[in-house]
Amino acid sequence: MADLEKLRAVAKETVSRDDVKYLIGWRQGTYGFRVSPHFITEPEEADKLIFSPLCSNNLATYLTLVEKLPVPRGQEPDTRKIALMVKGCDSRAVVQQLVEQGIKRESVIIIGCPCQGVVDLAKVEEKFPAVLEQVEARWDDGKIVFKLSEGEKAVPREEVLADKCLRCRYPNPVTADTLLWEKVEAESNDEYADVGELEGKAPEERWSFWEAYFSSCIRCYSCRNVCPMCYCEDCILDRLNPTWVNRSNNISENTAFHLARAFHLAGRCIECGECERVCPVNIPLMKLNRKLTKEVREKFEYEPGTDPDSKPLQASYRPNDQENFIL
Amino acid sequence: MDNMKLAKEKVGDFLAKLGKERFRVPQETGGSSRFAPLNGESSVDFTLSNTTVPLKSLFYPQTETLYRYEVGETAMKAPGEADEMIIMGVRPCDAKALTIVDRLFSWDPKDPYYLERREKATIIGLACQEPRLNCFCTSLGGGPASTEGLDILMTDLGESFLFQPLTEKGEKICQEAGDVLVKSEDSDVQAAEKVHKDAASKIVRKIDSEGIPEKLPQLWDSQIWKKTSEPCLGCGACTFLCPTCHCFDIQDEIEGLEGRRYRVWDSCMFKEYTLHTSGHNPRPTRRERTRNRINHKYSYFVDKFGVIACVGCGRCINLCPVNVDILNILSQVKEAL
Amino acid sequence: MKENPYQPYVATIEDTWYETVGDRAVKTFKVTLDDPEARKNWSHRPGQCAMVGRLGIGESMFCISCSPTEGDFLRFSVMRAGKNTQGLHEQEVGDKITVRGPYGNSFPLEDWKGKHILTIGGGIGQAPLRPIVEYVKANLDQYAGLTMIYGARTSGDLCFRNEFEEMMKRDDISCHLTIDIEEEGWPYKVGFVPSVLMEVNPSPENTIAITCGPPIMIRFVLENLKKLNFADEQIYTTLENRMKCGFGKCGRCNAGNLYVCKDGPVFSYSTLKNVPEAFA
Repeated sequence: MADLEKLRAVAKETVSRDDVKYLIGWRQGTYGFRVSPHFITEPEEADKLIFSPLCSNNLATYLTLVEKLPVPRGQEPDTRKIALMVKGCDSRAVVQQLVEQGIKRESVIIIGCPCQGVVDLAKVEEKFPAVLEQVEARWDDGKIVFKLSEGEKAVPREEVLADKCLRCRYPNPVTADTLLWEKVEAESNDEYADVGELEGKAPEERWSFWEAYFSSCIRCYSCRNVCPMCYCEDCILDRLNPTWVNRSNNISENTAFHLARAFHLAGRCIECGECERVCPVNIPLMKLNRKLTKEVREKFEYEPGTDPDSKPLQASYRPNDQENFIL
Repeated sequence: MDNMKLAKEKVGDFLAKLGKERFRVPQETGGSSRFAPLNGESSVDFTLSNTTVPLKSLFYPQTETLYRYEVGETAMKAPGEADEMIIMGVRPCDAKALTIVDRLFSWDPKDPYYLERREKATIIGLACQEPRLNCFCTSLGGGPASTEGLDILMTDLGESFLFQPLTEKGEKICQEAGDVLVKSEDSDVQAAEKVHKDAASKIVRKIDSEGIPEKLPQLWDSQIWKKTSEPCLGCGACTFLCPTCHCFDIQDEIEGLEGRRYRVWDSCMFKEYTLHTSGHNPRPTRRERTRNRINHKYSYFVDKFGVIACVGCGRCINLCPVNVDILNILSQVKEAL
Repeated sequence: MKENPYQPYVATIEDTWYETVGDRAVKTFKVTLDDPEARKNWSHRPGQCAMVGRLGIGESMFCISCSPTEGDFLRFSVMRAGKNTQGLHEQEVGDKITVRGPYGNSFPLEDWKGKHILTIGGGIGQAPLRPIVEYVKANLDQYAGLTMIYGARTSGDLCFRNEFEEMMKRDDISCHLTIDIEEEGWPYKVGFVPSVLMEVNPSPENTIAITCGPPIMIRFVLENLKKLNFADEQIYTTLENRMKCGFGKCGRCNAGNLYVCKDGPVFSYSTLKNVPEAFA
């Protein structure tokens, strides 16, 4: 399904354009099942680009991560475009950035890759421990096939795909300048079962669940730094004047950090799951973010990152919006 | 010093005899592992090491109060004495990392917080039997059974552990344990040596660091830094989970009328790390920060303290979400040199 | 805890005044340490710095802007820029601040004896140069002479103006004040500091040049000093960086393999020219 030849051809063509600064895609990592984002400026570099079940990285975060240095006197600012390869979930991030006017539409070229799901690295490494040689993988019907040194191994997708992919409703890029291959059918309907499970518990149980995780948080800020929607120049959780959340690591400040971030993402989080993937101490952040996503969906029938022409949730209202929590 | 043996079924007795409150062992908290007090447990899960959060968190905690004061007053109260600790189940890489960080914290003026904890701690290491994929300790003067920084080296012999005391502190613990330990046989020591050798042979990833510390500054303007830093997210995971990374921030915190000045882990990969209040930033992009990090670990630290500030534990490789691989960077450096 | 290098001394403000006004006003503080033992044991050399701050707010590194020859007190000139400096600016005579130090290396004034000392400062950059000026002034017979070039954007941005005007009255010290743009009623030079340097045209023979100021000024001053044939070993400057601990532990202030707080802040150009990060 993933036509690598077409992918590389389109990439080569795009990067040869005068108005394109660089293209971001994926390439094989340095060992085992790893995949690394690949930044290319020359057409030859496009030969390393891949698209496989191992490509979990959400590349949309680089659009807002790129440092904007002051332009030296006498020079014009570089207005060339950045070309980006996106899966379904990734494209929602780009769309939401456009909706919020964090980036301009003309500054990005979206190359869409309809996706049948990416793996959860932990699940894969448990199945195939200690694999050093670089592995290729592909989708094959309901299976993921891994090309290991001892031969090909096919595994049912439910066993290795990331949880978010098993309930994915947006496998196809929501918007794209080029769609590389035919769309994929969205098979699942997300019932927010993971959130519902926690909702059903008593408050004390819920608190002890989160207390254990927030106590283990080391405040590395990886979750915030990887999030494509967290791009405030001056993050409120870093500010010292005044200090909204102290930098000290204890249950009180850590809880404040995570709840504040979750609320700042309400109506904006596009559920790409990167925060949970990068967390070094495995905090289930998606449960927190999805609780708010669920509320937003139920109360306001709003899904961020689906319509490039929509307005951000908190910047719009409808006369019949729910008011039962204030009146 | 005589070598002793601890039968696996007697680990609980060992903990009780020496006083459970003194122990810090690998524990699972939330979704990760770190060194923590026993908290009522009577056994140690040695499979949890190498812990996610390295040993440094016991000596140089993520957050540490420097002193307390009251708002509007000027009297400062330093925190109380540090606890005595017996840390069990430490992998040799983490212990070697401590000896590296020791050099910085003992550099004049000495850091009293860290050094007091070091003095009051006894470290019982556990030799590795199954090095992980990205371990490369043998390339940096370490190894699965390296004794640097350890007071006792434990080796798993199947039914029991061999206890090899290496320092006075280690000897003292063995004596205190009394009859919970038994004397070992020569065959035990031989079996342990075989375990050590087998483990060392299982390490696959290597780097030849010869020449890197002296020559790395020559590559200051190389394209390597731009290429390898492009995918970096500036997330900070590598620095926080690195056993030799030691940079910190100092902040003040006030709650009501009580205040304290504390230090927290900081990362040179954060943009704010070198940001001047004027807005000027000497390391404005990830390229400069990545270059600084590698240079600091593999060159500047050698200049100042004579040792590469990396022990090859592999955590940064395992945990980097975008596969920025330090061995990859170093092999590119070697090639360019 | 005995000997805790993180714990500061408490100091009382004996006198304080504004050098310049505006958004980035500069306020000078003259302080004495409260604890008599600490006061007795304190000794610093020109060039060294101290961490100054307030409990509950934070600390920042400032150069000790006075020479030990001036008396039993410390002086700091603080430009208001952020949270810590705003907190300091709020303090008046009689209020308390905390001081930690002295940190860093110092100007090798002993080695410089017998030489002609040339200081070239811009704006707040004169603060680290002031201790050299005061020290050499107090020991002028041991040096071949003292020349000062100091400039700022406008006359309102000049620090220590009254001290300069006092020195201009002397004939054993050469003093040149300048501002960037013409101003009505300004009696002294007009021009950027690097240009005034070329105008003054000091001889490099037996001379040490020390410069400090905004990065762009330093760049041009260095260029001009080389044009005037100053050797690398004859040129000194002070670096600054964001600092937290002040004594080489927290890791952030390094320029290359040099910690600005411990290996510096005083560096000769012969050291810095091999350190690309020094002028970043």
